[in-house]
Amino acid sequence: MSLDPEVLVAILLMALTTYLCRAGGFFLMRFVPITPRVEATLRALPIALMGAILGPIAWNGGPAEWVGLLVAIVAMRLSNNEFIAVLLAIATVAGIRAV
Amino acid sequence: MPLRRLVCRGASLQPPVANMSDTAQRPSFTWLGFRLGARAALVLLPTLLLYGFAFGVMAAAKGLSSLEAVLFSGLVYAGGAQMASLQAWSDPLPLLAICLTTAAMNARYLLMGATLHAWFAPLPAWQSYGSLFAMGDANWAMALRHHRAGFSDAAYLAGTGFSMWFVWIGATFAGQLFGALMGDPQRLGIDFLLAAFFAAVSVTFFRQGGATAVPLVVGVVVAIVVQALVPGPWYMMCGALAGCIAGGLTSVARS
Repeated sequence: MSLDPEVLVAILLMALTTYLCRAGGFFLMRFVPITPRVEATLRALPIALMGAILGPIAWNGGPAEWVGLLVAIVAMRLSNNEFIAVLLAIATVAGIRAV
Repeated sequence: MPLRRLVCRGASLQPPVANMSDTAQRPSFTWLGFRLGARAALVLLPTLLLYGFAFGVMAAAKGLSSLEAVLFSGLVYAGGAQMASLQAWSDPLPLLAICLTTAAMNARYLLMGATLHAWFAPLPAWQSYGSLFAMGDANWAMALRHHRAGFSDAAYLAGTGFSMWFVWIGATFAGQLFGALMGDPQRLGIDFLLAAFFAAVSVTFFRQGGATAVPLVVGVVVAIVVQALVPGPWYMMCGALAGCIAGGLTSVARS
C-alpha cells in the first residue's frame, strides 16, 4: 500500500486535466459555439492517439506483436467483442514468446 | 468510461430539439432522479468490471501499488485516458507527456459536456459542475437518451456516475491484486494488453463512419518517425496532434 509522491502528483495532474475536459466544453458553450471544424478535430483525437501508440509498438515489435495485432483486429471484426479479441491477442503473443 | 464507447456512437452533438423550450426553465435535480440513474447504470456492470480489472492488471505491471491504482481510478475516472497514460509511464515520470496524453484521450469530453449545456445550464453550479465529474461515455449517452425521452431530472447523470465509480474502483483494486500476484507481465503477454485493446477498439471506429482512416494513418506514421528521432514519449503527442489536425482538415474539406 505504498504511495509514491511523484505518482500522487501525476495522478492529481491527470485528474485535474480530465476534469477540465469534462467541465471545459460545458463552460465554453457560454461563450463560443463549437464549429464543425473544431468538432471534427476533437473527434479525430482519440483515434489519432491510438494510432500513435500502436504504430511504434508494431514498428519496434517482432513477429509476436505483429501476429498479436492482426489477431486482435481480425477477432474484433469477426466477434465484435473486445474481450474475446483482447484475450485471443494476448494469448497469441504469450504463446509465440514462449516458443 | 468503457473504451468501446470512446466516441459517442452515432449520438448527435446537438441538443435535443424537442427539449429546446426547456432551456430557460430550471430542470429538476432530485434524489429520485439520482437513484433512477444509479440503478440504470447497472447494465454497464460487466463492461466496467472487465475494463477496471484490466486497468488494475496493467497498473500492477507498471509497478503501481494498490493504493496508487485505486486513487488513479477514483480521481481520474476515465478508462481510455488511464490506459493510454500508462503507456507513457516510466521512471522518472514524464508529467507533461502524461497530462497531454490524458488531455488528448479526453478531448471528446469537451464535446460531450457542450451537449449538456442546454439541459444543465439553468442549474446551480454545484449541481452542474458536480455532475460533470461523473460524466463518462456510456452514462452521457444514457442521460441524453433519458432526456430525449422527456425526463428532465438532471440528477440522473450524477446517479449513473456514482454507481459506476464504485464498480470502477473495486474492479481496479481486484485487478491490481491479481496483476501483482501474477508476476512477469512479459511472459503472460500483459504488456500487450493495451495494444490489443486499442487495435480492437480502432476497428469499432471504422463502423461509426466519419473521419477515421486519415487521423489513424497520419497518427501511425508521424509517431513512428518521431520516436525514431526524439527520445521519450513525445511520439504519442506528435502523432495524435498531426492525426487530429489532418482529420479535422479533411473532414471539413469533404463537407
